[in-house]
Order: sequence, then C-alpha cells, then structure tokens
Amino acid sequence: MSVYAVENLCVAIDGVSIVENISFTIAAGECVALVGESGSGKSLSCMTPFGLSPGVATGSVMLGGTELCGLDERALRPLRAAGVGFVFQQPLTALTPHLKVGAQLMEAAMQAGAPKPARRDFIAMLDRVGLPRAHEKLDQYPHQLSGGQRQRVMIAAATAHNPQLLIADEPTTALDASLRHEVMDLIDRLRAEQGLAVLLVSHDLATVRGHANRVVVMQHGLMVESGPADILLAQPQHKYTQALVAAVPLLDGPAPHLPAVGAPLLAASDMTVTFPRAGWRRGRFVAVDGATLTVAAGEALALVGESGSGKSTLGRAIARLGPCDVGSVTWMGEMLPERARMTRDHRRLIQPVFQDPVASLDPRWRVADIIAEPIKHLMPDMSKGERDARVAAALMDVELSLDMADRRPKALSGGQAQRVAIARALIAQPQMLLLDEATSALDVLVAAQIVALLQRLQRERGLAILAITHDLALARQLCHRIAVMDAGHIVEIGKAEDVITSPAHPVTQRLVMASRR
Amino acid sequence: MNRPLTLVAVIVAAAVLGPLLLPWPYDVIDWGAVRGAPSLSHPLGTDSVGRDLLARTLVGTRVTLSVATAAALVALVIGVAWGAVAGWVGGKTDEVMMRVVDGLYALPFMFVVILLMVVFGRSILLVFLGIGAVEWLTMARVVRGQVIQLKQRPFIIAAEAAGAPPRAILIGHILPNVAGVATAYLLLTVPQVVMVESFLSFLGLGVQEPLTSLGILVKEGADDMDLSPLGLLVPGGILVTVLVCLTLAGEKLRDRFSA
Repeated sequence: MSVYAVENLCVAIDGVSIVENISFTIAAGECVALVGESGSGKSLSCMTPFGLSPGVATGSVMLGGTELCGLDERALRPLRAAGVGFVFQQPLTALTPHLKVGAQLMEAAMQAGAPKPARRDFIAMLDRVGLPRAHEKLDQYPHQLSGGQRQRVMIAAATAHNPQLLIADEPTTALDASLRHEVMDLIDRLRAEQGLAVLLVSHDLATVRGHANRVVVMQHGLMVESGPADILLAQPQHKYTQALVAAVPLLDGPAPHLPAVGAPLLAASDMTVTFPRAGWRRGRFVAVDGATLTVAAGEALALVGESGSGKSTLGRAIARLGPCDVGSVTWMGEMLPERARMTRDHRRLIQPVFQDPVASLDPRWRVADIIAEPIKHLMPDMSKGERDARVAAALMDVELSLDMADRRPKALSGGQAQRVAIARALIAQPQMLLLDEATSALDVLVAAQIVALLQRLQRERGLAILAITHDLALARQLCHRIAVMDAGHIVEIGKAEDVITSPAHPVTQRLVMASRR
Repeated sequence: MNRPLTLVAVIVAAAVLGPLLLPWPYDVIDWGAVRGAPSLSHPLGTDSVGRDLLARTLVGTRVTLSVATAAALVALVIGVAWGAVAGWVGGKTDEVMMRVVDGLYALPFMFVVILLMVVFGRSILLVFLGIGAVEWLTMARVVRGQVIQLKQRPFIIAAEAAGAPPRAILIGHILPNVAGVATAYLLLTVPQVVMVESFLSFLGLGVQEPLTSLGILVKEGADDMDLSPLGLLVPGGILVTVLVCLTLAGEKLRDRFSA
C-alpha cells in the first residue's frame, strides 16, 4: 500500500504547462528521488499538489487514500498540517528567525491539533534528530545554530506531528559534503524507525545514489526515466540520464591530463587574517593563521576545506581582494603591495571568478560592459574599436554567442552568467585565476561544461590557477596539487593523487570519505 | 497601471494648468462677492476677503507640492551623499557620520523651526531649509545600509580586481544599484514634507500672504466652516489624496526593492 501515489500529474502556471505526466508512488519507509537540472520542474511537482506554488495541478495525487488534486486551499490546509512535513534547501530562511527552536517545534507539533507538548517532548524530538545538548538548543534562535544543526531542527519540526510523508527539497545542497551525509543518514533513520515515506528533490546524484530506493529523472517538465536507484544510475537508458551520470566528477576515475608546470610564480607566506568579533565580544576572530603556499606558472593548486575553514579568506588575501593582517605575497620574487596600493600592472596578474555567477555581475550593466570593465581600467589606452574586438573575442573564447553582448545578467542562465564572469576575468590576460567555488552553485551538467572550459583555457594559455573548493573530486580534475585547510591552518599539502589516495590529516580523511560515498 | 501615481499626476496637472484657465487670479479681490457662495464665476465660492477659492486652492496645491518636491530633492541629494560615503568608507568615519545623524534626529525639530521663524521672521526659504535639514536623515540611514550590503557583493570585488578606482565603483556600481531604493524613499519623503509644511502653515508659520498653501487654506476653511464647508473640504481632500497616493506608491516601490 503506497502512502503517496502520483499519477499523470500536470502542473500549469497561468495556463502555461510546466510539468506533464509525472507518475510515481512511494510506499511507507521508502525514498523516491526526483532528479534533474534546475528549471526541470522538480520542486513544482512536489509543492503544487499541496497548494504551495502558484501552479495548478491536474491528474491524480493520493496521499494516504485522499485525493489532493482539485481541493481548494481550505480543504488542503488540514491535510498539510497532519499528513506531510517539508524540509527546504536553506534552513536559515526556512526557520522563522524571531522564534526560538522550542517555539518552532511547538508550532510544528501543534499544527495538527495535538495538545501542547511538554519540554521533555521537545528534548526527545531534538534527541531523535541527533542534536546534542538539546535542552540548551531549545532556547536558542536559528541564527545561533550551525548549518547542519539548523537542518536537523528543520527535520525535527517537519516530523514533529508524525506525518506520513516527508518532502525534502534539496535538503543538503546548502551543506558541506560531510554534513550532507549526516543529514541524509538521519532521514534514512527516520524512514526506518517511523515508516516515513520520503520524496527527495535533488540534483546531487551522489546523495541520491546512496539514499534513494527509486529515482525519477525529469527534464523540461517531463519524466524521462524512472526505476530503482542502483540499477538506473548504474545503467542509465535515456541520453539525458547518461549525461547526468557522466557529469558527476569521480575520485576514482582515470587521472586527468594536466599541462606541465613552469617556474615558481607566486609565493604567499605566513598569511594571517583576523576579523573583529561580532557584537560586543572583545578580541578578534582568526580566520587564517600563518598560511604559506606557492603556485608555479601553469600550475593549479586547490585550496580545499569545510565551510568556515578560511579558504576563501586566504584566497582573497592572496589576490589582494580582501583584508590581510600579516604576511607577504611575492610575484616572481617581487613583493605585491597591500590591497589599497595595488597598481594596474599588479591587478592584471590575478583575476577572480566567484561562486554565485549572478551576484558577481552588476545587474544594471550590459554583458559587453561587464566584460570590458577590466580593460577599461587596466588598459586605458586601448581604442574603442579594439576594446569591442577584444570583448567579441572573449565572448567567443568562453563559447557564448555575440548577441549575448547586449543582454543584462537577469536574462542569462547560471552557466551563461559564469561564462561571462570567466570572460571578464580573462580579458585582461592575467597569468593566474582565482576560482572561488566557481562551479558549486551550478547544476551538474553545467558545472561539467564550465570545468571543461576551464581545463581548455588552462591548457591553451598556461594559466596558473588557485581553485578554492570543498569538492575533492573537482579539485582532482583541475589541479596538480591540493592544500587542505582546517580552522585557518593549512594542515596538509601535496600532489592531488597522493592527498586523495593516502590522506594524512583527519580532516582530509573526512573529506575523502565524503566524496567517495 | 500605477493608479495612485496617476491620481497625483492629475492633481499636479490641475495645480499647474488650472489657474491659467480660471477668470479670477488667486490674489484679486472680487468686491461684489465677499464670502460668496459657489456660483458660475466662483465654483467654490470666495473667501472672507472675496478671493476666488478654486484659484487659491489650485495655487495652494502648487505651492505645497513644489516646496515638498524641492525639500525632498534636497533630502535626496544630502541623504544619498552622506549615506553612501558613510557606508562606503566604513569604520570610524561611518561611526562619526552616523552619530551626527542620530544627534540631529534627537532635536525637537518642530520647536527648532518655530524658533527660527520667530528669530528670523517668516520666509519660505526658512521653511524649506528647516524641513530639508531633517528629512535627509532617514534617507542617509537607508542608503548607508544598502551600500554596506552592496559592498560585499562579488561584483564589487570583481570591479576592484578589474582595477576600478573607488570613485568609479561608487559611481558606476553602487549608486545605480541604490537608485531604486532611494527613489522609493523619495516618494515617501514627499508626503512627509507636505505634512510638515501644512502643519507649519496651519500654525501661521508657513508662506506669506497673499501666497497660500494647502495648510493655510485648511486653516481658513476651518475658520469659515459655518459659512461654507467647501473651503475646508476641498483643500483637505486634496491634501489627504496626495498624502495617501504618494505613500502607497512609495511603499509599493520600497517593497519591490527590499524583496
């Protein structure tokens, strides 16, 4: 007997059909994953039957024997309150900021008309989701918890009223690799203990592989393939699924062919960065503590670590784009000046590419102006005609068509926006790129294309790269060496293969474990 | 269509063009119709000295709105400049600049304006200066917050990497992205200034006779309420309509940009 049965579900927004003919069933204790790139209609298919999206659902959606399609908001509300729990991608925005954890749980537990639970019950709820020191956590606000803890609270709230179905919309995407598995293990445990049916939305195939029973692959609002997770992901039939599976970088794949390394280029020594502590607390928070590293011409060095380890801060300090308290950076033996004293010639050496492609482009500028910004400032003598020619060449170089030049960032997809950001970084012909999680905000397929583009540029131009990432598999595809950071220190540095095959430091071992699963 | 703004546009058009079309100017006395009831030549009647009320209402609207617009623009310029510099430079400068704002906020503004009027005599310039000196404070706070938020966005850091000097970043990236929010608060500032100006005029501290403003008209209308309620209702109605419409439009804009 299935808890949740979807048959020929179609979703339309304002009469435009977005999702067509989705069918799947979830039995008690089972986990079904909806997989596909962003915009393929995964979230809409989950939310619309419950009246939680602007769309209109047609077809048949049965939750524990009740038909959801065609019900109005008033009829849906008690069903939502009693039968289903939701977990979202961003636990900070999904939890009400002004309510303490205890109050959030109370609201969740009482939504189906249950009597007011005692404090003991709350502690039991938090214990169940594996949150340590539950009695303290009850009196804390969401912003005082870490990302993983927030997601645990979110799951505790979503399951407080003992729903039959848990809908988890990208529950781990905002988390670190190692936290990802903890949260998914927790969901697995709740499935086993309470017979919870789970509908998982994800674009992360590694998560799906380890935790879902069955997979539904969606593309452009259509169901292209579905079946048992292990079989489908091992032998995908549909072309799109095959591309998705192939795009996931693997730790154990064949060694990538990387260009040869030249003479030493950049040396950063004893870098220390501190920030004032928030609020009234005295003292300063040490984000990077005496880090030393070198990069040679044409070499790619990965800076790997969990979030909060200081890798981005170190990267920016080296590129002189962020604060730096102590430490020196030399470029071919010559000292780089501090941030405010960087001249044009210095700025031309290192150019950055950031994580969020949309936020890294000024929403009010045209693509052509965005790409031209570095040459406008760094090569002010260039004529207008030559500048336009350079921009056109840069667009071609990142495989964008020339008619993109007049668009604004809003009209670009994530992958296109990141290509524009790469074009801007390359147009002044730097010798080194700083890639700050440059692919982690992108879909699997798009990320694979961007990595391929970066590999090509690395080969053709002999670019040195400092790649900041939390993904070891990605680091291995692009980088000669890997430096692992933890709590502001570089704890391990070595050849990519060596670090991955025989990690010495516990943090490295944890990262390798997390990427291997 | 933006209905509140359309309504404001109609009122502005009437205030600008209306007096040209009327037979009686706002400051000419019709000796034949002192305290006259509404008639064909005076649609709203005349006031206690025989001046056409419709003409006076339109001119009063014009005066009130132009004082408000000018004061709001002054507030915009000072507020954006002050807030942008404080937010961009940060640190000690920011502290000092924002404490100045806090200090000015703490002044009992109405009292200061009344004191100025008493000392220097009534003048439209003083009204204007007094209002402008206070209304930019909120704008400065809002703009500073926006700038601090924008400063951390990757595209600003990318601009720094692109070698853009601070002035170019401020003018090229920060100000255009603050413009939307600033416009929204500009729209919210205008009704506030209208309120303040009307209140000062109602107290008899606003513009000089024979020039008039909505506040003066409401006061005179209230005095002659027993003779003709139109003298109170029409300027009062225009005042309320302008306030509500501008506030609605401003809040709508503000919500769009803060989302």
